[in-house]
Amino acid sequence: MRKIKKVMIANRGEIACRILRTLDRMGIASVMVYHAVDADSPAVRAASETVEIDGSTPVAAYLDMGRIIAACQETDADAVHPGFGFLAENAVFATRLAHEGIKFIGPSPENIELMGNKIKARSFCIDNGFPLAPSVTEAGAGEQFAVQAGKIGVPLLIKAAAGGGGKGMQIVRDLDNLEAAIQLAKAAALRSFGDDVVYAERYEEKPRHIEVQVLADEFGNVVHLGERECSIQRRFQKIIEESPAPRLESDLRERICATAVEITRKAGYRNAGTVEFLLAPDGDFFFLEMNTRIQVEHPVTEMVTGIDLVEMQIRVAQGEYLPFNQDQVKTEGHAIELRLYAEDPANDFLPTTGPLLAYSLPVGGSVRVDDGFSEGMKVTSAFDPMLAKLITHGATRNEAIERARKAIADTLVLGITTNVDYLARIIAHPAFAAGQIHTGFIPQYGNDFDSPLLTKDQRDLLLAAAALSSREFTNPEFEAIEPYTSIGNWRN
Amino acid sequence: MHHRLKLLDKYYDITVHHRSAKHLVQIGDAEPRCAVLSVTDSGDHTIQLGEQRTRVCVKVKGEMVYIRAFGQTFDLRIVNPVEQAGLSVKGGSNKARAPMPGVVVDIHVAEGEHIVKGQSMMAIESMKILTTIQAPRQGKVAKIHFAPGQSFEKGAILVTLCPEDE
Repeated sequence: MRKIKKVMIANRGEIACRILRTLDRMGIASVMVYHAVDADSPAVRAASETVEIDGSTPVAAYLDMGRIIAACQETDADAVHPGFGFLAENAVFATRLAHEGIKFIGPSPENIELMGNKIKARSFCIDNGFPLAPSVTEAGAGEQFAVQAGKIGVPLLIKAAAGGGGKGMQIVRDLDNLEAAIQLAKAAALRSFGDDVVYAERYEEKPRHIEVQVLADEFGNVVHLGERECSIQRRFQKIIEESPAPRLESDLRERICATAVEITRKAGYRNAGTVEFLLAPDGDFFFLEMNTRIQVEHPVTEMVTGIDLVEMQIRVAQGEYLPFNQDQVKTEGHAIELRLYAEDPANDFLPTTGPLLAYSLPVGGSVRVDDGFSEGMKVTSAFDPMLAKLITHGATRNEAIERARKAIADTLVLGITTNVDYLARIIAHPAFAAGQIHTGFIPQYGNDFDSPLLTKDQRDLLLAAAALSSREFTNPEFEAIEPYTSIGNWRN
Repeated sequence: MHHRLKLLDKYYDITVHHRSAKHLVQIGDAEPRCAVLSVTDSGDHTIQLGEQRTRVCVKVKGEMVYIRAFGQTFDLRIVNPVEQAGLSVKGGSNKARAPMPGVVVDIHVAEGEHIVKGQSMMAIESMKILTTIQAPRQGKVAKIHFAPGQSFEKGAILVTLCPEDE
């Protein structure tokens, strides 16, 4: 076992801040690469050592393997934590690091290769008898792809083989639109992942997205840290996650978690990973994919288990045994995460950009905030529009929701349109409180989340506040030209 | 001072009258009311208008006024006089503008091509989201302002149509 001495954080924003916190607590030195646009970010300000990197775009800088490896060598970093996104699921990067004698804090290149490619992952599941939704791969069906996809029936989902995060996914509800959807999905796949191979699978109406956090060491020990419910999604992307999943019978929960552990074991996987399942209303569940990295929503698992997942990633990467077995993993209470995005829910959740004129989030007590922004920063289109994650814990689900409600009421973000008010309305919804959630929750109850109407008194107060806070209205220099000032009568 | 404010897609004419240290705010044709915006100990504001009163957080940037009140966040915009004049003129649909900053992915029409209302003219992507820019009306494409791969800011003119009488 060789202890890791210095970790290069090859990421930015909130996840870079979060990784840094654990490294500091463990007493491991750290260094961070950054692009100039992030120079004033909290992550870069918090880092004790930084290396500036450049690229044709800011994103390209964080994807530049050669430059990041060189930065490791310049700074004597002996390990890299990739966070999520960017190079986190890039087998080539993991391989190149291994050749340079630098540890990749994550799974092996073979693990990434297997699970990163949806088609390989699916055939792995088929070969090993793990549950899968009916599907057709373009690679397998060739020119018969559209015909065979049509045979699965509608609704049908067309997805990139190489991708994740819902990028470019297409739902087909009418087979007449199948060909067009395939072409759109292929174009999106090529653009996002450099590979236009797609596959089609049965689309379940009202399913739940349940995922299981797993941890595995190099010695074949595998444990799960329970499940996360991630069904509240818009544009196929999660915005609210919780653990444990509400309304999940304990025997079904155990079967899902056990299946995740078996998949992890069979894949020879090591380090932290997440096995995602689709849970149909009838209790059938299907493997969706395995994410070979730390997830955005990992804090809810940390809040209920008390386990620091980044610490476990580092300890496993430096060759330690998992410090606990399955029976020693205990969960307590309930945790819920709200993702704050710079986006406009009233305009189809399109990303928004602008300055954070006011930005404050409530931290402390049962509230955890993971973020990488501070007041005065500008949100640009250079990166993902997530601003922050607000995570609350409670003894019960109701208590966690109530604390989330209070936390979001104490959140102030001005200067840019965000989904803060929208999140507040979702968690206040009776169907959410009842745990009646599925991935179609937002479309189903969509109108319930519209902004409530203002009363005339409220409207007038807003208009008066805006007028009195604006120099355009109150600057006396302008006032002199108004005739009523000279004639001493304020009525015009 | 007299200005027009936009709140939740509606326009309001507001006049602020100064009477020594006080402000009187008149909304549309309603009776002017005494209004006070004061800072609280916590740094928030309290707005009082006539008998009504509430706590607000306010930030101003250029023509935008951002307010959090009643558990909601609002953006109000001070409409500048030029735009105010333009509001009464019909049309303005010769230009398709970018709803958000992004990158052009694909172009579906050619300059000089006749198009129908709703026809997809361009595919754009911002972060992870793919959207098409649709023709606001039927007509003829005058100019395509960006090529695939080029990026643009919010509000940029993406496609211009020939004026309707052509």
